[in-house]
Amino acid sequence: MEVKVRIDGVDHKAQAQLIQGTLWVHYNGRVFTQDVSTGRKSRKKGGAGGSSDQVMAPMPGKITKLLVTVGAAIEPGQAVLVMEAMKMEYTLKAEIAGTVDSINCAVGDQVALGKALVKIKPASDK
Amino acid sequence: MKKFTRIAIANRGEVAVRIIKACEEMGIETVLLHSEADINSRAFRMATKTICIGPAPTAESYLNIQANINGALAGGAQAIHPGFGFLSENADFAEAVGKAGLTFIGPSPEAIRALGDKVHCKELAKQAGLPLVPGYQGENQDVEHLIQQAEQIGYPVIVKAAAGGGGRGMKLLKSSTDARELIESAQREGQSAFGSPKVFLEKYLDRAKHIEFQVFGDSTGNVQHFFDRECSVQRRHQKIIEEATSPSLTDELRRRMGEAACAIATLGKYKGAGTVEFLLQDGEFYLLEVNTRLQVEHPVTEEVLGVDLVKMQILTAQGDYVHDAKQIRVPRGHSIECRIYAENPFLGGVPSTGLLGHVEWPEGPGRRYEYGFDANDTITPFYDPMIAKVIVWDESRPRAIQKMIRVLKDSVVFGVHTNIPYLIEILSHKEFVMGTMTTRFIETYFGESLKEPTLTDIEKTVAAGALLQLRGGANGASTTSSSPWASYWRGI
Repeated sequence: MEVKVRIDGVDHKAQAQLIQGTLWVHYNGRVFTQDVSTGRKSRKKGGAGGSSDQVMAPMPGKITKLLVTVGAAIEPGQAVLVMEAMKMEYTLKAEIAGTVDSINCAVGDQVALGKALVKIKPASDK
Repeated sequence: MKKFTRIAIANRGEVAVRIIKACEEMGIETVLLHSEADINSRAFRMATKTICIGPAPTAESYLNIQANINGALAGGAQAIHPGFGFLSENADFAEAVGKAGLTFIGPSPEAIRALGDKVHCKELAKQAGLPLVPGYQGENQDVEHLIQQAEQIGYPVIVKAAAGGGGRGMKLLKSSTDARELIESAQREGQSAFGSPKVFLEKYLDRAKHIEFQVFGDSTGNVQHFFDRECSVQRRHQKIIEEATSPSLTDELRRRMGEAACAIATLGKYKGAGTVEFLLQDGEFYLLEVNTRLQVEHPVTEEVLGVDLVKMQILTAQGDYVHDAKQIRVPRGHSIECRIYAENPFLGGVPSTGLLGHVEWPEGPGRRYEYGFDANDTITPFYDPMIAKVIVWDESRPRAIQKMIRVLKDSVVFGVHTNIPYLIEILSHKEFVMGTMTTRFIETYFGESLKEPTLTDIEKTVAAGALLQLRGGANGASTTSSSPWASYWRGI
């Protein structure tokens, strides 16, 4: 809905909507979101590559190829699996050196955004 | 001459809407052949009739030849419009449609085979003496053999699905180290997206522009070109911004390339709308491929020439369209198209799916919106992430760029993230403004992810005030909201 926010006597017009716990705002030529449960800017989990000791799904999609096995030594930047969404293939890579601790998906699985797909035991833990 | 009273649409999203609108204006009813996933879409609501042809996965619905034909027959259609993507360049589909007693709105199966299969097309181009990018288009698809051929051509080499398009099944081989992995990946993508794992190899031109010519063969087989488009702004070989006409062509180049485009289309006995794509580098042009269908970016041609390519396609399929010999086409002004993708530009462009919230496309002169979804529709992960196209027209290229930036800033899409911030950055970039961008423009200047700008104090305050109002606190000043911004906001 259209909202008007008065700051220092000046009305600022914006479009705003709450969708599933996220506030969407269009103001002054830009759309931005806020996670209204914490007040912080909302940030989807995952991201390209995921957090360092695990490879997470950066989008919902299907696992098409597993390139590593449990116990395998891997290097930063090494491709660990291939997934497909919207008919495009994405190769997910490890961020750190280490060994594959566990694989929590199989080829053909439909996985959700942010799912931890591969856990890596960092090399420094050895 | 035939006269269609009902046309089936074997497609989805914004192009299905585009076709429905052309049919409506011509007094033709429509049958939308859709998957289970697409019942929340504009095309579904607009079509005269809808028939579900299968579940969400494309292989079981949009790529299923028999399901589409059965649906068209059951819906009482006399013809099928395939749109773009899916079965639009599938000769077997075009043939099966004809055998079922229906008309395929597009070129003949023979023309699709001759020009649409990229390997056959290059053979035809060789016969016609058209310049080609060095490459390998052989039948031997053994990975070892393909790697050998790539070494011979010399890296960088591009591997492409022979039946492909739209950047799918296309990979850049920079050296021998990742060649195997990428070739296999292209083969898998080709199989999954187009039903064929066949690939070919091509030398990668590293400072080329992507220039294409719209061609159109009328009912008598007379092929004319409808001038050029430039689509150099590509990411992962997927076009993002297209314009007509190209800012890069001299009159002489435009004439020669237009003649070459007509020559190959004529040789392929082409009828209907098609696109001949070229790469232009150092004043030399090379044939890239021919797309035997309507193109995603067809609106920019329509805007500068004042034509309706979809209606022309339908009339041609009826045997009812002949180029007017007296009409001299002159492009007028400049048109730009931006593809709106449902993706997060701050997370490397990963697809963004979910329920669409408020959507707003700001009206005004010289603005055109092609979109497939409204508020409360769901963007699913099953298909291409393009959810809309924004097209502008203005008197000159600089004015069109200026207009596009403003239009994008005023456009509102809530619920899924879009590439709009990314598009605005591109349109503002010096090289784009000068018109000197090449197909490597994006990788050179934009990498993969945009840096997310931090919110200004005013933005934070507007958000806090908006939240209070949404939660029913009137203007918010007297509420006791738990929002952490509330105290900040009250302090202003």
